[in-house]
Amino acid sequence: MDPFRRRTLELSPSRLVAAARSVLPFIAVLGVALGVHALLYRWQIDDGGVFFYSKILMDIGISIILAVSLTMVNGFTGQFSIGHAGFMAVGAYTGGVVTYYGAMKLFDPANFAAGYLSRSLPMDGPLFGAADGLFLAACLAAGLLAAGLGYLVGLPSLRLRGDYLAIVTLGFGEIVRVIIERSRNVLPDAEAAAKVPAAALPLHVGGASGFTGLQPFTSPFWVILLAGLTVVFAWRLKYSSLGRAMISIREDEIASQSMGVHVTRLKVMAFVVAAFFAGVAGCLYAHQTGIQLTPKDLAFQKSFDIVIMVVLGGMGSISGAVLAAAFVTALPEWLREPTSVWMYGLIALCVVAVFADRRLRAALWVVGLTAGAELLLTVARRAGIELSQYRMIIYALMLILVMIIRPQGLLGLNEVWEIGPFRRLRRTPVAPARGAAAPAGPGGSP
Amino acid sequence: MIALLASSWLNTDPTVFVETLLNGLAVGSVYALIALGYTMVYGILKFINFAHSDVVTWGAWVSFTIAAAVAAAIGWTFTGGAARPAPLWLGPTLLVCTMLVCGAIGFAIERLAYKPLRSAPRLNVLITAIGVSLLLQNVGQLQFSFLPGWLKFPFGTQPQSFPQLLPAEPLATVIGVKLYWIDLIGFGTAVSLMVALEWLVYHTKTGRMMRAVSYDVRTAALMGIPVDRIISFTFVLGSMLAAAAGLLYVTKYPGNLLQTADTTWVLLGLKAFVAAVVGGIGNIRGAMLGGFLIGLIELFGARYLDPGLRDVYVFSILILVLLFKPTGLLGSTVREKV
Amino acid sequence: MSLLTVEGVSISFGGLKAVQDFRLSLEPNSLCGLIGPNGAGKTTAFNLLTGVYRPDRGRITLGGRNLAGLRPHQITAAGVARTFQNIRLFPDLSVLDNVKIAGHLRSDAGLFGSIFRARRQRGEERAMTERAMELLAIFNLDGRAGEQARSLPYGDQRRLEIARALATEPRLLLLDEPAAGMNPQEKKGLRELIRGLIRRFDVAVLLIEHDMGVVMDLCQRITVLDHGVIIAEGPPAAIQKDPKVIAAYLGKPAEGEKGEG
Repeated sequence: MDPFRRRTLELSPSRLVAAARSVLPFIAVLGVALGVHALLYRWQIDDGGVFFYSKILMDIGISIILAVSLTMVNGFTGQFSIGHAGFMAVGAYTGGVVTYYGAMKLFDPANFAAGYLSRSLPMDGPLFGAADGLFLAACLAAGLLAAGLGYLVGLPSLRLRGDYLAIVTLGFGEIVRVIIERSRNVLPDAEAAAKVPAAALPLHVGGASGFTGLQPFTSPFWVILLAGLTVVFAWRLKYSSLGRAMISIREDEIASQSMGVHVTRLKVMAFVVAAFFAGVAGCLYAHQTGIQLTPKDLAFQKSFDIVIMVVLGGMGSISGAVLAAAFVTALPEWLREPTSVWMYGLIALCVVAVFADRRLRAALWVVGLTAGAELLLTVARRAGIELSQYRMIIYALMLILVMIIRPQGLLGLNEVWEIGPFRRLRRTPVAPARGAAAPAGPGGSP
Repeated sequence: MIALLASSWLNTDPTVFVETLLNGLAVGSVYALIALGYTMVYGILKFINFAHSDVVTWGAWVSFTIAAAVAAAIGWTFTGGAARPAPLWLGPTLLVCTMLVCGAIGFAIERLAYKPLRSAPRLNVLITAIGVSLLLQNVGQLQFSFLPGWLKFPFGTQPQSFPQLLPAEPLATVIGVKLYWIDLIGFGTAVSLMVALEWLVYHTKTGRMMRAVSYDVRTAALMGIPVDRIISFTFVLGSMLAAAAGLLYVTKYPGNLLQTADTTWVLLGLKAFVAAVVGGIGNIRGAMLGGFLIGLIELFGARYLDPGLRDVYVFSILILVLLFKPTGLLGSTVREKV
Repeated sequence: MSLLTVEGVSISFGGLKAVQDFRLSLEPNSLCGLIGPNGAGKTTAFNLLTGVYRPDRGRITLGGRNLAGLRPHQITAAGVARTFQNIRLFPDLSVLDNVKIAGHLRSDAGLFGSIFRARRQRGEERAMTERAMELLAIFNLDGRAGEQARSLPYGDQRRLEIARALATEPRLLLLDEPAAGMNPQEKKGLRELIRGLIRRFDVAVLLIEHDMGVVMDLCQRITVLDHGVIIAEGPPAAIQKDPKVIAAYLGKPAEGEKGEG
């Protein structure tokens, strides 16, 4: 308040506690990432089968970054971007250029190795390699470039009506794809790279046939760390005054600006932040094991996958986006070899019995859906139909049905724990100054 | 635009210029047909019907499936070395059949997916439209192994080449410029469909009802206009034009009838949408104008600047229009009521 | 020195001159009314004052500062708040959050402050909640603070909208038909409420209202619009007798029969 107050650096206990509370979730995420990484790393030495699960885990983590970041745009501010994969592609190729050519130009390729953090497979090597630092730098560069492009795309189109943004973002994604497809072949080694000036290197990212030779730096550690950071970021944003202002834009843009919210600024901010995280996710995606980075894989179909996650999870729900990202990513794996669904149904039934508001109705829904799915599985098995072929059809039908039956998505703006009994706990007003003796309007008091 | 035309005229052979112009008009007429569907739906329901480009795709594939069926029935080969030209009646028959089938698809989409959302927020309808689009794309990817031969892959699990409906040789050469059948017939079909639509919208009672609904749905309903029927009719009409566009497109580029889930189709739809926006969304004449404009810009850009960037030109035009005249060339301002 | 001065403000949409040569002068803590038949341009005038529309011509000054041409959020920051004819709450947000949105205006929370939840932000947030609860208590809505705004009964929604507008700490409050849809008892309550506001929050109020009982009882001065033009201006008693106003509302016998309505 007082502009003339001197700012001194005092380290009172309360200030330390506050600082600790500020960064605690970030440190927790780091801890979890290290812990899980260590566990998986140990296991992999004994059992190669764990590799499959750590691969799915990483896929899910990347999807979570994408879905949660898009939630900030589509869920919080109520804009509709369907070109998220475009930013992902920008990030993927930026990250690829940084690690691939960076290693050639900065390091001695012979001694260039990933350390413990950037390993999804156990190998011999140092505890920390030069690659760990470079990969982090690549992720940052990927995010920043994507964010910059997000600003360029967002600024003009965000001033316009919502559905134009959808088209512009879709068009942006396609332009990114076309431009990448026109790039030249990857330079094979450091000698070739030495002949090309650094600024011209992005011209050599493989064109339509793909960017080959990227190292598999993406490990469970990086994925969990970055996905965790994204979730904490989105979380704190949602429950800050800034996030509240963003959500008010989605609720009613005109009322929002008349409450003093700088609508354009916040829209652009959400868009840029989301682009940043999409870029980071792209960098993680590019450096996965067994991925051939081609522009076609990051075309609009990928964007639609992300939109599906956001919509199914609930527009504006972070936990919803996380769950939907896991579901949408894991479903094709499951469809490849479908197992019986009764067990999942039973688990869902337990959850419903404890948490649901209208238990009987919800339980009937669960039983019905389980039985239906089981029936479908049986029929498919008998007829020899490969269900994984129907993946996109299932998503498309879910999207349409959710919009008709439950337009706000499965969770709406709520988080998982805001439905059911937790909600009743949380609902107690902050400081009920007086009794709730509101002489309400017609049919008012509950 | 004018500068581009002028410089291209000055720099090169005039026949190339004229050929590019003719090509641009032919492609533009396809865009215009698709853009009409976008613009009519937007005019009435105020949302972007994302599934519209997939109706175009289906139009192309439905005509392929019918052509394949006809070929099987009359013992006509259209692929490989033994390929013979199509009988003359095939083209018109395909056009009519495809338009009917796609009209039915449009009707079903509107009734099943959009009608339940009539009063929902626009965003929800947009998401549903994306869902419908994904559904159409991926249903097209299915194989029906239990069906007889020509129906096994009805909609594009793998790329096909489309039968040659019109002679590939130029119809005539006028002062060095080759005139092709397809450009002439395609252009003629598209323009006559547009004239028919223009007549329907501005000179019939149904057209007047459509305009009334597009002006204000609620008031139109109060005036006794069967709003639901008019909306369905609009969808059917748009889908029929889309079907014609799909057929014309593959007749022009018969070599690559791509899978339904291929990006090319989405790009085709997007360009047509850009055409609708450039012309002024909601405005029927604007959509036609925009379609031709986009076709010309794309082909001239591809011919005289860089063929690989043709999609980039179109989207740059979109951004420019959105920045400087968001209502499009012929559109009028719509203000949100506060 | 008047708080708000509006001089010669006009706007037209296409060929339609929606508001022409609008002028108004408001003292601090005064309560004035803006009336007129449907479609007279009252809400358009509000939209001009709050920056939703940009005037084609004219000056709007608030406490000496020119507002014409500013964007809505800037005008709110300068001290003009409003409610809407058709209630525009944030339906999915809680009653408390609806009011707390205003806190964003006076907060300097940037992206990083919000994400790291610096101590300043936390203190700010607590202050916002306290202030919002105080406001809600004044409007007897504190018991419902945790409920979704959409679940409130109609009358409460109207009052919440006023509370939300006041949370931006305005010097001028624009109320667009606050009594619409209320029953006589609620209207009486509303009248008391509005009168109380002026003193309690140190604001001037400009009111659009169709209920003449409310307008005549509350307002010190009234401006009458018809077809976008001011046809009368003065204290309620004078307005009631003004023949032009009567004609505008009831139609002149001769013209009315020509089928204007």
